[in-house]
Amino acid sequence: MEERPQHRPSRLPDNSALKQQELPAHRLYFTARRVLFVFFTTGIFSLCMGIILILSARSTQEIEINYTRICANCAKLRENASNFDKECTCSIPFNLSGKMMGNIYMYYKLYGFYQNLYRYVRSRSNRQLMGKDIKAVDDCAPFKMSDNKTPIVPCGAIANSMFNDTIILLHNINSSVQIKVPMLKSGLTWWTDKYVKFQNPSSKNLADEFRGTTKPPNWPKPIYDLDKKDPRNNGFLNDDFIVWMRAAAFPTFKKLYGRLNRTHHFIEGLPAGNYSLNITYNFPVTRFHGEKSVVLSTLTWCGGNSLFLGLAYTVTGAITWLASFAMMAIHIMLKNKKMSFFHQ
Amino acid sequence: EERRARANDREYNEKFQYASNCIKTSKYNILTFLPVNLFEQFQEVANTYFLFLLILQLIPQISSLSWFTTIVPLVLVLTITAVKDATDDYFRHKSDNQVNNRQSQVLINGILQQEQWMNVCVGDIIKLENNQFVAADLLLLSSSEPHGLCYIETAELDGETNMKVRQAIPVTSELGDISKLAKFDGEVICEPPNNKLDKFSGTLYWKENKFPLSNQNMLLRGCVLRNTEWCFGLVIFAGPDTKLMQNSGRTKFKRTSIDRLMNTLVLWVEVIRLGHSYFINWDKKMFCMKKRTPAEARTTTLNEELGQVEYIFSDKTGTLTQNIMVFNKCSINGRSYGDVFDVLGHKAELGERPEPVDFSFNPLADKKFLFWDPSLLEAVKIGDPHTHEFFRLLSLCHTVMSEEKNEGELYYKAQSPDEGALVTAARNFGFVFRSRTPKTITVHEMGTAITYQLLAILDFNNIRKRMSVIVRNPEGKIRLYCKGADTILLDRLHHSTQELLNTTMDHLNEYAGEGLRTLVLAYKDLDEEYYEEWAERRLQASLAQDSREDRLASIYEEVENNMMLLGATAIEDKLQQGVPETIALLTLANIKIWVLTGDKQETAVNIGYSCKMLTDDMTEVFIVTGHTVLEVREELRKAREKMMDSSRSVGNGFTYQEKLSSSKLTSVLEAVAGEYALVINGHSLAHALEADMELEFLETACACKAVICCRVTPLQKAQVVELVKKYKKAVTLAIGDGANDVSMIKTAHIGVGISGQEGIQAVLASDYSFSQFKFLQRLLLVHGRWSYLRMCKFLCYFFYKNFAFTMVHFWFGFFCGFSAQTVYDQYFITLYNIVYTSLPVLAMGVFDQDVPEQRSMEYPKLYEPGQLNLLFNKREFFICIAQGIYTSVLMFFIPYGVFADATRDDGTQLADYQSFAVTVATSLVIVVSVQIGLDTGYWTAINHFFIWGSLAVYFAILFAMHSNGLFDMFPNQFRFVGNAQNTLAQPTVWLTIVLTTVVCIMPVVAFRFLRLNLKPDLSDTVRYTQLVRKKQKAQHRCMRRVGRTGSRRSGYAFSHQEGFGELIMSGKNMRLSSLALSSFTTRSSSSWIESLRRKKSDSASSPSGGADKPLKG
Repeated sequence: MEERPQHRPSRLPDNSALKQQELPAHRLYFTARRVLFVFFTTGIFSLCMGIILILSARSTQEIEINYTRICANCAKLRENASNFDKECTCSIPFNLSGKMMGNIYMYYKLYGFYQNLYRYVRSRSNRQLMGKDIKAVDDCAPFKMSDNKTPIVPCGAIANSMFNDTIILLHNINSSVQIKVPMLKSGLTWWTDKYVKFQNPSSKNLADEFRGTTKPPNWPKPIYDLDKKDPRNNGFLNDDFIVWMRAAAFPTFKKLYGRLNRTHHFIEGLPAGNYSLNITYNFPVTRFHGEKSVVLSTLTWCGGNSLFLGLAYTVTGAITWLASFAMMAIHIMLKNKKMSFFHQ
Repeated sequence: EERRARANDREYNEKFQYASNCIKTSKYNILTFLPVNLFEQFQEVANTYFLFLLILQLIPQISSLSWFTTIVPLVLVLTITAVKDATDDYFRHKSDNQVNNRQSQVLINGILQQEQWMNVCVGDIIKLENNQFVAADLLLLSSSEPHGLCYIETAELDGETNMKVRQAIPVTSELGDISKLAKFDGEVICEPPNNKLDKFSGTLYWKENKFPLSNQNMLLRGCVLRNTEWCFGLVIFAGPDTKLMQNSGRTKFKRTSIDRLMNTLVLWVEVIRLGHSYFINWDKKMFCMKKRTPAEARTTTLNEELGQVEYIFSDKTGTLTQNIMVFNKCSINGRSYGDVFDVLGHKAELGERPEPVDFSFNPLADKKFLFWDPSLLEAVKIGDPHTHEFFRLLSLCHTVMSEEKNEGELYYKAQSPDEGALVTAARNFGFVFRSRTPKTITVHEMGTAITYQLLAILDFNNIRKRMSVIVRNPEGKIRLYCKGADTILLDRLHHSTQELLNTTMDHLNEYAGEGLRTLVLAYKDLDEEYYEEWAERRLQASLAQDSREDRLASIYEEVENNMMLLGATAIEDKLQQGVPETIALLTLANIKIWVLTGDKQETAVNIGYSCKMLTDDMTEVFIVTGHTVLEVREELRKAREKMMDSSRSVGNGFTYQEKLSSSKLTSVLEAVAGEYALVINGHSLAHALEADMELEFLETACACKAVICCRVTPLQKAQVVELVKKYKKAVTLAIGDGANDVSMIKTAHIGVGISGQEGIQAVLASDYSFSQFKFLQRLLLVHGRWSYLRMCKFLCYFFYKNFAFTMVHFWFGFFCGFSAQTVYDQYFITLYNIVYTSLPVLAMGVFDQDVPEQRSMEYPKLYEPGQLNLLFNKREFFICIAQGIYTSVLMFFIPYGVFADATRDDGTQLADYQSFAVTVATSLVIVVSVQIGLDTGYWTAINHFFIWGSLAVYFAILFAMHSNGLFDMFPNQFRFVGNAQNTLAQPTVWLTIVLTTVVCIMPVVAFRFLRLNLKPDLSDTVRYTQLVRKKQKAQHRCMRRVGRTGSRRSGYAFSHQEGFGELIMSGKNMRLSSLALSSFTTRSSSSWIESLRRKKSDSASSPSGGADKPLKG
């Protein structure tokens, strides 16, 4: 049998699912079963999560010692910038009623210090800090050059305002014997910061490398003298410096200052007893109505002892459950009405 | 300012630099594209705003973002819009080229040469052949027909369906051959180009003589030559100067209301619309197999307004009807023929019909004629005298001209398609009208040639609504045959036919109910003496100087009396496919349909009934035909009063009274009970559209379910549309097929052209085109509805996601001393809208469907949210913004609460700025992705791909941007090195993201679930219930139920024009060969063309007679 070839009209649109808007698709329905299921499971998940988080947070210990007012004389001294070379120390005794077990982290905490100001955040030169070109100060306004046009190292507002109090924790074993609690000044930073973002110029002698530059105006000593004992912690690689340079998101923040070196006496953590903090008070805060304190804290898997996340989860879970019961009730109530409507 | 053109003298004519015949609807060329397009684009507020922003951002002191965050989107927007504009313009170029490159024969240097249309110049003589389009506005010089006559169809131009006749002035009609024409050097001085279609005045200077020229001598561009072998014309106006182009108005830039609301964010909106336009082009269900024409979205900017249309203005001829008349039924001596019954005696439906009647017995039958009822032919064959007389009448009483090129190959030149259908019917049933001379008509009656002596033609006109012939048969008996409107003829019948009359009336009502156009047929025997005496009086009357018209009318009236009823014919003005169904569906969708036609009132009303716009269930159909301002005002007032009276009596009288006193006429009228329709004539419309009455007219018209405006000019069509646009905040759509619809198509918000016709002017001016009126339902109810829905969903989501994104900065401002520090990395800001969150919402905007397409046809009410603009109005806008703000609050404060006091699991600080930025950004991307997941009602593979893909791309880019490699190369640009892996490795961060997502999304889910339960809208109900389907099917059936019974109205409609009777009796339109058969009696009157012209200007709505009067001298 001979069949004549079927000539399709050339302008006939393709019969493809896409072009005819007939793509196979899943239609999204908010059916009662699905919605309520999602609500109930979300509620259970949130409640469980909240309880776990609260329990974890409660298992940590933290003490905070605010030394803004205690060291009032030093604070007063620092209000006048011309006293920058006068040293001021103050000692704050405190009592640890129970021992703090495990890894102990020491932080300094600043109140009312806006590290997130727009121009402050940008006032830094990553090019310089990665050691490639220490004279690259382009982005560092207003701390690019000193008055005699020497580039500042490290340049910029962040570096210039670096926290420079020295905090030493002492354990008073008895009224006469005081031992210094050993603190590690390493491992305070992200690996990428220490090994990628911050690099010293290649040479062995840092001072030579930094020749032809000058220190930031607020600094008492140049960058290559931050830690003369440990070359791995000197120059741009200084942990305190790197920690400071990672600008905080909010005006109140704490930054890691040291980790307890768990040896000898402190192998399990900090034993209970009397301690004191010896602080070399250099960083002025009263000028901007700020405050500062020292925080000692232990950690769990979810960080410190903040209850916020746990509470938020608990509340969310509870509300979700309440809502799902309410929705179920409404749905059942209306269902009868609807059935009669459609069956009429 | 007058125009001079000399024939065959290009050099002379070039001096005046008249426009060439090249038309241009495109906007750009290659050189001007870039500057003009950019200039246009920067007229958009959004683009200028971005440009301004860019300039500001180039100044580092005042900018917190780098310049590329603005330039990337801006350039993208400009490029995509430019590409789109270029494509649009390319197609305009293409169609311009097509028209400009049409071939025409031009007389150059004494030789006929093929030339493209665009090369035709003013002063050229061109030759046109039968069925060709007239290339420019021409002065008719000569034609193949006697006396320089030629016939044209002007449907393209003014929508009138009957053929028009044009005549060359006598001096030029001699110029039949090329050698004479080449020597012709007449000069025409005439009016400058204008848009008046029915008016032309000029003078021809030739051989030191002056000859007045009028519209009667002109062939306008857009007309088609019919029934004329060839003609020659002198180009007077070309290209843009032609009356057609002068009527088409300027291309306006159409904008949708959503555009006006928000002209920012143009880019994605454009992309989505482009997608929707392609869906229209690709739609197989809008492809017409017969004409092989797909639907076409010619502009890509109006799609969502297709979902909001409230008023449709439709042309009649060619749009609602096919302009084909079919002899469908007849009633002869009390018996109705034409219905087909199946075995069980039920009326057979279309598609189950048996074979058509076999006319093979008749060698002269027209093969194309189809009739389905065999009993009629049987009646003819058995020699039923009534049936024979019936068809004899049809073969004698008409003004059709016949042409027989070869023996037996008959061609009829009918002035109106109605008559053509009737004479063809008679021909097939064995009463073949063969030829005529001014004094005779030759008919082959059942194979025998019989020549009747034609004594008189009592011509048709709009007042008489009938025509008669008086013939003497070979036996010498004189008989008058008359056909006409039932209302007129029934009063003039002999009282003895009362019983027959009643049966015939029943049939007539039945036919009228089916929307058929009916005519009543009757005859009367005249005795010799009476006729002689009557003919004498007629001659006297026709020679009278004063009130000749009236005298003739009364003499005609006298003889057309006491006639014997023969029967009735019913002609079907064939509708386009599916027109009544489409109109019914669109009416159910709350769309008001107005028919604007150049055709006559009877014809228009008839079509109104046959396409179910007018029904017998209607309380009343108001007809406004007043000729003066006062009359029209009075008629409108009465209509309103009636409507209010009835609603007062139907409804609660008290409340209506109260409303009335608050003088809110419109609201009262919109609430009237009962269905009304308004029919208004062109000349009344002219008054109704005057500034002090337009509001009155609009209120009256809008209170009616259906409005029909007849005998309107193209300009009036546009004015009516403009009026509705002006006072009603409603989207209007105009649909038409001819050049006479161009102005209305351009005026309406949306213009639709019927493609696949001969003329393409309407299509060129339109925004959408397809070849069948019925596709309108799919365009509006499916494509339009979806477009609107998608666009609204898109906009809602778009505002939501941007507010969620932006407002975080506001909250952050409280914590960063309002220093304009951004929460996010600048790359995130750049990429958020164009990469991370664009494609999923784009996929939703292009593909989303709430209910399947069949449902939106089944439930036309689903269209209403669009008309009321329920899906995206200020309220919805604020809801979206509120949701965005709510999200932004949680998006900021939950991470803030967590970060403020938390540390990482390695003891280092968590709350550094960069980690916070990454956390907020990540939760934002996740939340808005989940949200689009919820908003997407129709998950195709593409949606899956885009949503999951966007998330994947986000993380991929995040890790890439934070990689060591990029930092090593550009340390100052990529400051976030190491952030992604350090931050996203923290369980706390993920817990924060999860919590944020839950609290942002759950309330939305709850809200939607509750709305679905408590306040479901129709689309929800349709979506969630299958039970409703059954109910709807019943409604569907109701809608399709055709017809009704037993109302008293006339189905009379006849697209005919006066003057042809006189033309025939004068013999002027007959070839000499046929005239030679009879003695050519020179009649003193050469007034037929004058009377043709006069009738024409009388019936035309605009008074333009003055200019058409011939100059004497």
